[in-house]
Amino acid sequence: MIMDLSAILKGVPWTIALTLASFIVGAALGLPLCAMRLSTNGVLRLTSTSIVVSCRSIPPIVWLFFVFFGIGNGLIAMSPFTAAVVGLGVVTAANMSEIYRGALTAIHPGQFEAAKVLNLTKSQQFRDVILPQLTRIALPSGATYLIGLLKDSAVASTIGVSDLAYQSYHVSQQTFRGLSVYAAAALLYILLSLPIAWLSRWADVQLRSRVSR
Amino acid sequence: MNSIASSFLESEPAASQRAGLTCGPILCVESVSKTYGTHRVLENITFQMQVGEVIAIIGPSGSGKSTLLRCINQLEPPNEGRVTIGGVTIDAGNPPARRDLVALRRKIGMVFQSFNLFPHLSVLRNVSLAQERTMGRSRKEADAKSMDLLARVGLADKASQYPARCSGGQQQRIAIARALALEPEIMLFDEPTSALDPELGLEVLAVMKELALSGMTMIVVTHEMHFAENVSDRVILMAEGHILEEGPSAEIMRAPKTERAAKFLSAVRDR
Amino acid sequence: MMELLNLWKGWLPELIDGYGLSLEVTALSLAIGIPLGLVLALAVPAKSRAIRITALTFVEIGRGAPVLILLQFVYFGLPTAGLTLTSFASAVVALACCTGAYTSEIIRAGFEAVPYGQKEAALVIGLNGVDALRFVVIPQGLRVALPALLGFSIMMLQATSLCFTIALPELVSRASNIGSTTFEYMPVLILAGLLFAAICVPATLFVSVLERRLGRHAVR
Repeated sequence: MIMDLSAILKGVPWTIALTLASFIVGAALGLPLCAMRLSTNGVLRLTSTSIVVSCRSIPPIVWLFFVFFGIGNGLIAMSPFTAAVVGLGVVTAANMSEIYRGALTAIHPGQFEAAKVLNLTKSQQFRDVILPQLTRIALPSGATYLIGLLKDSAVASTIGVSDLAYQSYHVSQQTFRGLSVYAAAALLYILLSLPIAWLSRWADVQLRSRVSR
Repeated sequence: MNSIASSFLESEPAASQRAGLTCGPILCVESVSKTYGTHRVLENITFQMQVGEVIAIIGPSGSGKSTLLRCINQLEPPNEGRVTIGGVTIDAGNPPARRDLVALRRKIGMVFQSFNLFPHLSVLRNVSLAQERTMGRSRKEADAKSMDLLARVGLADKASQYPARCSGGQQQRIAIARALALEPEIMLFDEPTSALDPELGLEVLAVMKELALSGMTMIVVTHEMHFAENVSDRVILMAEGHILEEGPSAEIMRAPKTERAAKFLSAVRDR
Repeated sequence: MMELLNLWKGWLPELIDGYGLSLEVTALSLAIGIPLGLVLALAVPAKSRAIRITALTFVEIGRGAPVLILLQFVYFGLPTAGLTLTSFASAVVALACCTGAYTSEIIRAGFEAVPYGQKEAALVIGLNGVDALRFVVIPQGLRVALPALLGFSIMMLQATSLCFTIALPELVSRASNIGSTTFEYMPVLILAGLLFAAICVPATLFVSVLERRLGRHAVR
């Protein structure tokens, strides 16, 4: 039992790395994507909307296969991990851009006007006035999405990333103790999500304490 | 309801008197107090009510008027004191059994400030539902009775519609019909016209006046001073959780004894 | 371009066959899972501690564990305890449990959204607890929860793609097979993606329209 546990624990660092990498890629890419969604240029809007809609209507596993077997096989050689980060990162970007969009509409329009009137440059407006408020409002939804991403990362095991799900599968196939192995894996995923929930609650309290009501 | 049952009901107070119970009138509120956290909302409220009386409870905001009403039908259980209705007593010291609470609530009809009609049911079904479920009436019986009540409040033609299609005044009249459907002994009204503009409020007040004249026992928490003075028999004026003054409506409204009461009455009259 | 369309035409029957299976699994999982979610939504705030804790544990595990793990637990794990199910049955069991766990939270949120005045009105007209739930809270709560339930159903359809890992010959596994035999991964995966989008995109649109319309008719 302990041997099984230590075997499947080997996958945990990969799961964490994959989740964090995809989230960072997606959270970063989500910003320009969101900007495109709200742009006045019709072409940009159409392109970004199609990207967002297709990312959210097609299961992540299809994206992963597409990146790894489709692009990875023929055009560019990439490791399973890279393919998974690209695939999950794109899906995350689409979802995060929607979260940002929602958060932007929640910011009072007066804030944008005030920033403009204070003669700040566009990037200053964004960096100093909008971005802090955006982060505070988007934080809870972002954290919820991150927990979902942690669970979705299991899909990377199908293209060979040696994460927690991958190790669980192989240990169960070798030892035929599938019941305990998968139960342990489920528990590990739940335990991994707890720090995210706690951190997000802490960060939320911290950010809100500095805001006047 | 047949005449034997109704005469039995009327003789109930006499029976309980003969049995030596302390509450002869239909309603006794004894030393009721209510606290929310550290805030004392009701302080030692005591009064009695006879069958057929109409009492208006008036007073400034925050005086505890609505809370008192909600303590009477145990929507908010009081922290101290006793409430006795038609022989059934609920003591703050002994939490009552579920069955007793349900029995108590069937004797009391309540009309809310925000009507609280069920939006997913037709007007007719709103009035019939409780009759079927709590009085065991058949669908046909309940619907027939509901149509009578809706006619009484002037809305028989709205029976098959949904509440969203009715004006605020109409919704409140339907709410009154729904409360009357259970043939309660007492009707409680919690600021029934406060959420309505004056015109719509008048139709509701007309129904309430007709109800009062027909002999229903009513307690009405209201800001409508005209109703308090002309339709109700007694007025209870509350402030800061206490009963400030109590007595026949003409007396209280025209010749208040305390300065606080006089101040309140002159303020509302000047509006 | 023509070549691509011809390839697609050739593969389409096979993929549609797999898609039909995906839809079957989705429909069954929802048909079992949503009523299960209703039961759990009523069980989580129950007075009995035993019921509360059982329901909460089920919900937390159903929501906290990845769908992939749930599927593999049922298909690979249960046989070691003596219960062997086909891949179809395993898929339905695992996804129904997952649906039950998620929808119980959605439905519970729907119940909480029913205005407090409604519950009070039910009390004052003498309805007992069961009747109040049955006639006042549940009908209104489910109406509120409907858009979220439909949104979840769309996600469930996408989740069936993971059943590929438990040997269910659904859409993704068929596409992967075709890809591995013809090495034309990109075209076949694009087609599979389009098939998913064909249902998910209109469905998502329908849900947002529904949300707007339900909001309009709500009584203030």
